[in-house]
Amino acid sequence: MTTLLQIERAGPLTTIQDHGRFGLLQHGISASGPMDRGAFDRAGRRAGAADDSGIEFTQTLDLTVAGEPVRIGWDGGVFRARINGLDVPWPHSTVVSKGDCLSIIPGPSGVYGYLRFGKMLELPSVLGSRATSSRSRLGGLGGRMLQAGNELTLIGEGLPPQHITDDPGTDGPIRFIWGVHSEHFSRDVRQHFATATFRVSAAMDRMSVRLIDAENVFKGASILSLVSEPVMPGDIQILGDGTPIVLMRDHQPTGGYPRIGTVISADLDRFAQLRSGSSVAFAPVTVEHAHQLLRSSL
Amino acid sequence: MTQDRATIMPLGDSALLVRFSDTLDDEANRRAVSFAHALENDAIEHVLDVVPSLVSVLVRYDPRKANPTRLAGELSLRLRANPVVGDNHLHRIDVHFGGEDGPDLEDVASKLDLSTQAFVEHHNAASLRVLTTGFAPGFVYCGFHPEHMVVPRRASVRPLVTAGSILFAAGQTAIAATDIPTGWHVIGRTSFRNFDPARMPPTSLRVGDLVEFVSAG
Repeated sequence: MTTLLQIERAGPLTTIQDHGRFGLLQHGISASGPMDRGAFDRAGRRAGAADDSGIEFTQTLDLTVAGEPVRIGWDGGVFRARINGLDVPWPHSTVVSKGDCLSIIPGPSGVYGYLRFGKMLELPSVLGSRATSSRSRLGGLGGRMLQAGNELTLIGEGLPPQHITDDPGTDGPIRFIWGVHSEHFSRDVRQHFATATFRVSAAMDRMSVRLIDAENVFKGASILSLVSEPVMPGDIQILGDGTPIVLMRDHQPTGGYPRIGTVISADLDRFAQLRSGSSVAFAPVTVEHAHQLLRSSL
Repeated sequence: MTQDRATIMPLGDSALLVRFSDTLDDEANRRAVSFAHALENDAIEHVLDVVPSLVSVLVRYDPRKANPTRLAGELSLRLRANPVVGDNHLHRIDVHFGGEDGPDLEDVASKLDLSTQAFVEHHNAASLRVLTTGFAPGFVYCGFHPEHMVVPRRASVRPLVTAGSILFAAGQTAIAATDIPTGWHVIGRTSFRNFDPARMPPTSLRVGDLVEFVSAG
């Protein structure tokens, strides 16, 4: 019952992910895992995924199927997908068979898309996970990005696919919790941060997203060096030159720049899907509110 | 919330940070390391991860299950108990100092008005403590050297030094277990690798452990 997926073309930062390699921060490894966890899970439910692994891609992904048929589910952002040249809906799932070509190109929105499978990806687990860490070069396919010529093997049997309603999405500012160094920023700077509009720069990857601070919220607000501490995904660091940078799933394990806030878990997926050039604003919430949002999304 | 000069604060919606000091000093580091070990030895419900660093401890919890107020309360109770955990492992690390293995050794020694031989003797004179880990896979910072052995970082960053590099700056010696960029002085090299992704846990040096550097010629 083996299926082979031949990668014909892959956009930059295309990797194997699973739910992540947690618990190793003190050994110098951040957890990785999907940039948009919600979309990764939805793609898995659409596929009736047999395990917690899948492909995260950006921009484009073309693959050809060999061997036994398999159900593929896709979700995340809005891409355009075709099978053998015919348009298929996004998001969706379907069974593909030997010789079928799935081709994905960018659509109107989003950065990261996901493919999940009704079988298991046959890849070794490294330190308890198959997620690719682009920083530590671990997991996935030898710690590397997927590229044309790679072949993935799927084995086993999946679960029944689930029909799920499309994610209605959330608008509005990205919500955050004031950070472990917010008291180092003046009241004016903090107020300005919570009302200003930033833009997502082109310097974005699985490790971090740099923002453009056109309103100069942090100009001249530089803070002397801090003792470095562990960091978490969603932490909003202010670099020495005033550039705000949001740390993402493959973040550095520790950091010594001041952190004004941390994006809440419920909004980090949405933030990850913002394209370069998008406007973004931040709104403070309490930890209790962030937890209510998480629990209501169960 | 302050307990014995430690502050407990939220770090996002999935972690609390317990900070013992705003500046790096030996006592705050010892307290952070002891507290982390105590939390690891006697786990709190819904805590997923305890990450010690130089002067603080990150406590990651399950945001769908844990009540952060209750968790902060439990942490402050345990801070009051102020455990001091001793009896840590001693590791001997063989180092080739200087030459191609340590291109900055002469520079560092001359900054301290020492011959390279005298520098190595002073460097290896006392065992150091692993102050923190986590900067990169298997990377450790060891300290502290006495005040007469303190030099600042290099003016420029080397984009890459290889695994096994022995680094020196800021009164500390660090061991690189993977290839990394660094602004620290490269004074030697060891064949010891504190990172093996095929093993769990992948590192053998733990914060609080003692490290004795031995000149391998």
